[in-house]
Amino acid sequence: MLPLGLYLHIPFCRSRCSYCDFNTYVGMENLHESYVRALCCEIRAAGQSPHLVHTGAGVPPRAATIFFGGGTPSILQPAQLGEAIHACRETFDLPDDAEITVECNPGTIDLAYLRALQAEGVNRLSFGAQSADPGELRMLGREHGFVDVIAAVKAARTAGFDNVSFDLIFGLPHQSLDSWRRTLNAALPLQPDHISLYALTVEHGTPLHDWVRRGEVPYPDPDAAADMYDLAEEMLGQAGYVHYEISNWCRPGRECAHNLIYWRNEPYLGFGPGAHSSSIRRRWWNIRRPADYIARIERSASVEMGSEDIDERTSRGETMMMGLRLLQEGVSYARFAQRHGVDIREVFGEQLRAGQAKGLLELLPDRARLTPRGRFLSNQVMMSFV
Amino acid sequence: MNQIRNFCIIAHVDHGKSTLADRLLEATGTVTVREMQAQLLDSMDIEREKGVTIKASAVRMLYKANDGQTYEMNLIDTPGHVDFGYEVSRALAACEGALLVVDASQGIEAQTLANLYLALDANLHIIPVINKIDLPHAQPDVVAKEIADLLGDDPDSVLRISAKEGIGIQDVLERIVKEVPAPKGDPDAPLQALIFDSHYDAYKGVVAYARLFNGRLTMKTRLRLAATGATFEPIEIGTFTPRMTITGELAAGEVGYIATGFKSVRECRVGDTLLDHNRPAEPLHGYKPAKPMVFAGIYPTVTEDYPALRDALEKLQLNDASLSFVPETSTALGFGFRVGFLGMFHMEIVKERLEREYDMDIVVTAPSVEYEAVLSNGEVIKVDRPSDMPSGDRLVEMREPWMKIQIFTPKEYVGPIMDLVTKRRGETLGMEYLDEQRLVMTYRLPLSEMIVDFYDRLKSVTRGYASLDYSFDSYRAGDLVKMDVLINGDPLDSMALITHRDEAQHKGIALTRKLKEVIPRQMFEVPIQAAIGSKIIARTTVSAMRKDVLAKCYGGDITRKRKLLEKQKEGKKRMKMLGSVEIPQEAFMAMLKLEE
Repeated sequence: MLPLGLYLHIPFCRSRCSYCDFNTYVGMENLHESYVRALCCEIRAAGQSPHLVHTGAGVPPRAATIFFGGGTPSILQPAQLGEAIHACRETFDLPDDAEITVECNPGTIDLAYLRALQAEGVNRLSFGAQSADPGELRMLGREHGFVDVIAAVKAARTAGFDNVSFDLIFGLPHQSLDSWRRTLNAALPLQPDHISLYALTVEHGTPLHDWVRRGEVPYPDPDAAADMYDLAEEMLGQAGYVHYEISNWCRPGRECAHNLIYWRNEPYLGFGPGAHSSSIRRRWWNIRRPADYIARIERSASVEMGSEDIDERTSRGETMMMGLRLLQEGVSYARFAQRHGVDIREVFGEQLRAGQAKGLLELLPDRARLTPRGRFLSNQVMMSFV
Repeated sequence: MNQIRNFCIIAHVDHGKSTLADRLLEATGTVTVREMQAQLLDSMDIEREKGVTIKASAVRMLYKANDGQTYEMNLIDTPGHVDFGYEVSRALAACEGALLVVDASQGIEAQTLANLYLALDANLHIIPVINKIDLPHAQPDVVAKEIADLLGDDPDSVLRISAKEGIGIQDVLERIVKEVPAPKGDPDAPLQALIFDSHYDAYKGVVAYARLFNGRLTMKTRLRLAATGATFEPIEIGTFTPRMTITGELAAGEVGYIATGFKSVRECRVGDTLLDHNRPAEPLHGYKPAKPMVFAGIYPTVTEDYPALRDALEKLQLNDASLSFVPETSTALGFGFRVGFLGMFHMEIVKERLEREYDMDIVVTAPSVEYEAVLSNGEVIKVDRPSDMPSGDRLVEMREPWMKIQIFTPKEYVGPIMDLVTKRRGETLGMEYLDEQRLVMTYRLPLSEMIVDFYDRLKSVTRGYASLDYSFDSYRAGDLVKMDVLINGDPLDSMALITHRDEAQHKGIALTRKLKEVIPRQMFEVPIQAAIGSKIIARTTVSAMRKDVLAKCYGGDITRKRKLLEKQKEGKKRMKMLGSVEIPQEAFMAMLKLEE
């Protein structure tokens, strides 16, 4: 069995961002302590999970990465995150140098906090920077300013982190190409090791969705977003970043190991409310409300809310859907054959050729990948495989 | 025969015809209250939802009158919509009397008046009835005066009832007995029976509803249909009470049914006369084969459903002789049918029945009327599909059907109505006040202008207060041109339309603009053009799609991501392909949704 990615969900935020539809809650500080206990409990119980291929009595399953996502993981104390890391190390066979990422809100951390994280074994930080424009940050409901990002990155470096990422969002209502250029120009000098650039999606149930529906803000212009994507591609390329996934760039060798597991359709375990897990043949997900989650864990009840059995056909489609997101690596024919026991050209020959004919797919001798044109139109290709 | 009364009810939609019919059935003990399903006569869901009756029925009731005698009362139901004017006229022809039912708060509406005129033409005795007198907004005196003025009667002779509350039902029955003449006719003369409706029964074949004018009909009578020439021996003879009840015979003056064993209503048409094959009399007057006025293409959304669609249309046709269809093909839609309807309402009903009763997933193209093209060799051909319109020197003249329409309206909407009708090439024929508040406006209007959104516009500019009736007037020559729609340079045949030259430009711009809204962006730029011959009169472009991407995968939720793609793929499958352009179904109806 391939080593697992471990995702640990921290479903708490100090305030809600206007675009966010993630499973996160404001004003539950009273639950933090019991939540961390419950989370550790779920992690330890997973060692005996019937969904994992057993490695044999007394041999812990192998894991490759830990990723604290949210919500806002940095809302917890470093020691609390450390407890969870400890639980993972106890339960899984995790290499000493395994990638351990914590998503941080740049507005609420300082050097002391980051040093403490470092001491707990965290070796990668991901800052939600989002924009350098104060107006855009306000519209997104972010409570920090870009100066906080600058300070946070500086502190991270001082604390000794050599793997720092941050997120930016583009394609916002009212956002101009110039404003996006200014954001990139402000971000690049910070020399992050990794950058995620997300095109804004107006999700149902978010304040942003309401504003758009009521006509208070314009629906984001998809052409403007495409222009911004092109600009980012150009600027980040010049700055030496590798565009390795549709929404992700990195310095050579600084790919996010945890996310690579998803994209390669490899197994992962998600802990915490609303977290998703995959054992390849089956996927399951947890109940969403933190209080229910804690209560169930405390009485040793299952926190699984739903599951899906993934048949071979679906699994092949998912390998394509996720794998094509990797722009350089793509889907390797050999890896596909090894994984699914069939030749990719046999099961997807027609779709591959059609994607190539449309100029969206590039068929290399050893792998298929999106063309530059296909990157921002990837759904048009991916849907043919599902 | 003196104890028979054949009558029908003339009423506007929602004025309470079905409720009154229910009460009559209850009052005569034909159906007990307990048995009474609400609105028994309206048996189809669609009719009930639209508040109208599509298929006529005939119910026999026995009524013991105040004079001590028992009467056979035959209530013949009439279709409630303007598209079915001919069917109404045949149902009326089967009666001697009619109840004119008018809502006490609404007054007479256009259709009611049109049907009243049909009834008067058929020499029916009219018994005016004001219904819903219990409602708070009832104005029975005003309405009584309106009716009396119309009929040249005394306002006091107008019955005032509430069918819902059961008030005045007995009076209605007594008036029918006293005033509606008993049928005349000779039971010993050769048979003449008018078919005023029919339905299809899987076991008995077509069941014809007939009114006997002369002669008698037994199981032994060999029968012939005057118009179609089809002959048969009855499989069953009976009356509706309201269920089918076998009597084995019918005689002059009576109303009942004859099961024919025919496999399709085409052999047994409404308005035709049943004759004794061995002793044939003259057919009754007034038969007209059903003539479709509106045509549209109906296509299965997925090609594999073509045989299922054909089956469904055939089944519908068993009960609906006015529905016609022939196979047709379209560049983008593939194999389907050209379907003829009596009018827009009929088309709506057929579409809904296909979708609901037969669970068909269909695309219906914008409707067209039937044009006449006069060719240079003198030949006149019918064109009900705009892409078939001849062009160039071959074509001498185009003619289109015009309708005579009557609009009843409160006077404050006269301006907006004139505006609406004039914009659609209407010609004023007259305007007449019914009373101080309401008037009737008469116009001549091309049918092609009526089938696109006219009724809805009329309702909207009059806030629902106006009512409309129309009938065929004549074919008239017009400066008509064919407008083609080209998508990515390819003509989309099912979107071609025939229009007056003066409106072509305007329509072309509106249509291309609308298509730009409904056609999703493709992987490449797609020009949309409207053209007359080789001349482009309007053009827009759907710019190429540049963004179609899922940005982020939250917490490993791959299932959600896949489902989004699956949904997108499903939507794509429903698209129709013209060359390499994906065209959504609503594009084919874009013509109906243009801005005024």
